Amino acid sequence: MRRAALTLALMTTAALAFAHSAPNSLVKLTFQAHSVRAEIMVPESELAFATAAEHAAQPFPAYLLRHLAVETPAGAPWKVEVLGVRSTTYFDHPYLLADVVLTPPAGASATHFVFVDDAVTHEVRNHVVMVLARGKESAELLGALQYPARRLTVERP
Amino acid sequence: MKTKLLGKSLLSLLLICGGAAHADGACRDASGTQGEVRAVVAAATDLAKVLSAAENATLQRPLDRASAIRWSNLPIALVPRNGLRIGDLDTTKSAAARKLAEAALSACGLKLFDEVRLADDALIPLDTRKIGWGGGNYYFTILGKPSESTPWMLQIGGHHLAYNFTFNAAREGATPLFFGTEPIRFSTSGVEHEPLAAQSSAMSNLARVLAAHAPAKLSGTFTDVVKGVVFEMMPTPKGGTDTGFPQTYPSGTADRGILYSALPPAEQALVRAALESYASLPGDAITHTLVAAYEAPEALAQTYVGYSGAVDLSEKGSYVRIDGPRIWMEFVVQPAVAIPTDLHYHALWRDKQSDYGGQFRQ
Repeated sequence: MRRAALTLALMTTAALAFAHSAPNSLVKLTFQAHSVRAEIMVPESELAFATAAEHAAQPFPAYLLRHLAVETPAGAPWKVEVLGVRSTTYFDHPYLLADVVLTPPAGASATHFVFVDDAVTHEVRNHVVMVLARGKESAELLGALQYPARRLTVERP
Repeated sequence: MKTKLLGKSLLSLLLICGGAAHADGACRDASGTQGEVRAVVAAATDLAKVLSAAENATLQRPLDRASAIRWSNLPIALVPRNGLRIGDLDTTKSAAARKLAEAALSACGLKLFDEVRLADDALIPLDTRKIGWGGGNYYFTILGKPSESTPWMLQIGGHHLAYNFTFNAAREGATPLFFGTEPIRFSTSGVEHEPLAAQSSAMSNLARVLAAHAPAKLSGTFTDVVKGVVFEMMPTPKGGTDTGFPQTYPSGTADRGILYSALPPAEQALVRAALESYASLPGDAITHTLVAAYEAPEALAQTYVGYSGAVDLSEKGSYVRIDGPRIWMEFVVQPAVAIPTDLHYHALWRDKQSDYGGQFRQ
C-alpha cells in the first residue's frame, strides 16, 4: 500500500516537466522495531558517471553494497540486504530505486547508528544524498551527504 | 549554436524602461557610488510610492531566513519565487523598479540582469513545456524595511539570476550570487548577446594556465555547481532553494587545486581577474571591501584554484573554482535544458563568512 502511494506520488510529480540537469539521490528510512527499511533512489544519469569512473560494470545492487554501510556508534557493522531494485522516475528523471533492509547486530539499537553512503558522491562532486525519515504524513530531513562527507549519525527517539 | 530569436516581451520591457544594455564592458561609474545604501534606499522608497498597497505587500516581506534563502537556479514553475514579478509591472512601475536595479548594480551587473532575461525569453519558442521560461518571470523582493542603518535585503532574481544584497548587516552582503545563461550566445534584432562572456572568458583564461599545473586538476565529475541549491529536498515545495545554508566547505589541502602562491605573477593576475569578473556585478559599494579581503596577501596565500574538463569550457562538465578563506566562486558547463544537444552555464559566488550579511547562520 505504501509503495503504491509512493509510486502514485512519483507519477504525479513527474507530470511537471523537469528542467534540472543534475538530479540528486534520496534515501528514505522507515524505522521498524528491530531493523530499518531504506528506499534508496539514485538518478541514472549521475550513476552512469560514478560507475564509469570505477571501470567495473556490475549490477546496481552490487554497486550499492560497495558504497553503502551502516554501523553502530561503536563501529560494529549492520547487515545490509538489497531486497529488490526497480526503475522509476522522479520529475521526469529516470531513477533506480532499491529496497534495502538494514539490520543491527544482536543487542544493538535500531534507532541509533551511523549511515555510511558514498554512492555517486565518490565521483560526482556536486551530487547530494538526502537522507530522510519517512513519517506518516511527510518525510523529515535527517541530513545530507556530499563529497567528501560520507557518514551521517542517525539518532531517533 | 546561436539562437536568433527576438524576445519580444522582454525587449519591449527594456525599451519601456530605457534599459538598453551597456556594451562598453566598464563595470563601475566614475563616482564609484553604485550600491551605496543611501541611493538604494531612496530607489526602494521611490518604487514603493508608485506601487499599490497590494503590490507593496507582495514586494516587501519580513527579513528572516525562510525568505532570504528563497532563491534558486530553477524556473519558477519548479521553484516559485517571492516578490514583485517584473512582467506584471506597467511602464511607470517598471521604470521605478529599474531605478532600484540601477542603484544596486554596476553597469556590468545591470547588463547581466538584462541579458539573462533576454536569454530566458529566447527559450520560450524552443521549449513549450510550462516551466516558466521568460524574462518577465524575474522578481524584485525587499526583506525588512529599507534603511540606512538597520539590516534589510534586496533580492533581484529568477531562473538564471539571484542577486541577494544585504545592507547594514554585521558582515558584507553581496552573496549568495548565482547567475547562468541558456542559450550561451544568441541574437535579438541583429544584436549579439553573450550574458556571461566576461566570466566565462576570465574563468577559461584561468583554466588554460592551470592545465600546466598537475595539482590544479580537480578529481571527480561536475554536473552542476557544488554549493548550489538542492531540488530534491523533501517534502516539496521546500526544495530548490538555499536550504543547505550554511554550507560546509572543503578543508585541508587535498583536492582543492593549486595554491595561488604557487603560480607565477602573470597567472596570479588571471585569478584576480576571474574573481573580479564576479565581484564587479553588484555596485562597488557592496563589494569593494570583499574584493579587498579576497585580494589581501594573507588571503591569497591560502586561496586555491582548480579546474576540471575542457579548459576552453567547450564541453559539459567543464568546471573552474576559486576557493579561499572566504571566497567560493564556481563556474560549470552543463547540458542545455531547452535544447539538450547544446550547453549552458551556471556560476555561483558565495562568501564562506558573509552570505546574507553573516545572518541566519544558526
